[in-house]
Amino acid sequence: MNRTRSRRSAKKMGASVLKHVFLIIMALISVYPVLWVIAIAFSAGESLGSPVLAFGLIPIPSSFTLDHFSSILSVQVVGSGFPVWVKNSALITISSVIGAVALTLPAGYAFSRRRFRGQEASMFSFLLPTMFPGVVTIIPQFLVFSTLGLVNTYYAVIIPYMVGSLSLSVFIMKSAFDSIPREIDEAAMLDGAGEFRIFSRMLLPLTLPSVATVALWAFMGSWLDWALAHVMLENNALWTLPLALYAFLQSNYSYYGSFSALALVMAVPVFVVFVVFQKYLVTGLTAGSVKG
Amino acid sequence: MVLYPFAFNFFITFTNMNLYHIHPCAQLFGPVTPSCYTINQDLLKNFWFVITDPSFVQILQNSLVWTFSNVIPTVGLGLILAFVLNSKVRGKTIYRLFLIVPWAMPSFITLLVWKGMYNYQYGIINALLNEVGIPSVNWLGSCFNAFAAIVIANIWLGYPFMMIIFSGALQSIPQELYEAASIDGATGFTRMRHITIPLIKPTIIIALLLGSIWTFNNFNSAYLITNGGPGICTTIFITQAYNQAFSYFSFAIAGTYAFIAFVILFVPGFFWTRYTGLTRGGGQ
Repeated sequence: MNRTRSRRSAKKMGASVLKHVFLIIMALISVYPVLWVIAIAFSAGESLGSPVLAFGLIPIPSSFTLDHFSSILSVQVVGSGFPVWVKNSALITISSVIGAVALTLPAGYAFSRRRFRGQEASMFSFLLPTMFPGVVTIIPQFLVFSTLGLVNTYYAVIIPYMVGSLSLSVFIMKSAFDSIPREIDEAAMLDGAGEFRIFSRMLLPLTLPSVATVALWAFMGSWLDWALAHVMLENNALWTLPLALYAFLQSNYSYYGSFSALALVMAVPVFVVFVVFQKYLVTGLTAGSVKG
Repeated sequence: MVLYPFAFNFFITFTNMNLYHIHPCAQLFGPVTPSCYTINQDLLKNFWFVITDPSFVQILQNSLVWTFSNVIPTVGLGLILAFVLNSKVRGKTIYRLFLIVPWAMPSFITLLVWKGMYNYQYGIINALLNEVGIPSVNWLGSCFNAFAAIVIANIWLGYPFMMIIFSGALQSIPQELYEAASIDGATGFTRMRHITIPLIKPTIIIALLLGSIWTFNNFNSAYLITNGGPGICTTIFITQAYNQAFSYFSFAIAGTYAFIAFVILFVPGFFWTRYTGLTRGGGQ
């Protein structure tokens, strides 16, 4: 008896050690390439091209400097600079996130609670855009927006970002609403609550984790996008952070430091948002899909 | 908004549109200027051009191999990590935070770092291999190595998202089910087979479907690390379409590639969603 128990606990110990070894290796692999970006951002005159020469196996900056960070603050491109880029990025991202959530909620609700003609077809149509290579849809989108006279305005990127995040978001919201039993609606209806009231007072609070997921997904899509912004926003004064980042990369090899510094600055909001939403995210992404 | 780019793309596959013809096209809703494009005499000319291109078969094969060799490991790795993080381990939150790092950085930066790490002479990967006594590998020089290189980098980019998805699915399984099962005497493997797997199946289906579509149309990895080379070893549909559009400015050929890619995704995607009931109206 005693022996089997000690053998079992030894087995458990072994399993736990194995788990930690596996997790530590995976965490190292995840972080390692990013350590280079950090090291380059903090040291003078290094480049991404020759990492091993610059630092050795573990990337620790040889000479610590904050020059790259101060240089991105002071860089001026005709009529625009760091504060303008941050303002543009923030404005575009916040509008896209709000718009995406506003579009996704009613769509997800309708797909979950209503029956209508062409339901499956329209649900499937949300998958279509992801099947079409994004780079190629940029051309027709550009033509549409130039016809409407919206190129070089915020709308030219906000509208596509909003719509672009829908393909995954609608599925998330639908399965979230699906996971709430219809009896809740019916009970509320018997108590005299209208449909909108049920939606806003009962269903919305219950699906908050999924709403957070939808918001995060839209945030990632617009905060990091370069390709569409590159086509739509030619005006310096409208540049977003990824466009500025690309300009650093294009101009000269010696800008690698500033490039990495700006990349780190851009990653900070992503981490803040992730940490804030982590609790919601983990349950949000698939809440309800269990019931299918 | 969703359908217009398709219709437009479908249309230009029948034309000879290229950079020299595009300017008058900016007048979309006005009268169509004749100089904007001409519809090809032989409607399927662009399709024949693409399909009879000697590199077509290789590009098709690359795209399919690329998709499968990425999706299976990312989904697998995501599942394993989610399982491990769902069991009793200390420091879950810290591990999770480290593990999402590849997802949180702009991918074109980290891909450039990967490119640097693959460098034959100075790259860190060869330096590590040399440390353990393995001779340097010419990562971006040969067909097979270059393909492996971009697949590895892309798996690195992809597994955090899958991990997040599966963690959510595992956490939403009610604990009571496991308790009830253990009263009935079910242990590890049986529990896994009869509770865990069936309950996270819908999530696996979504992950496989969206993962395949995203990978098939993933542009950054193949373009930034190898730019399709050496030769056309790592050229896939999406990089080919991009090159046709923005290097050769032949939008009609680019549109044709994109359209073929779309058909390849649409047919299995349609049957897959049908078969699994993903789009069916829900609620009880």
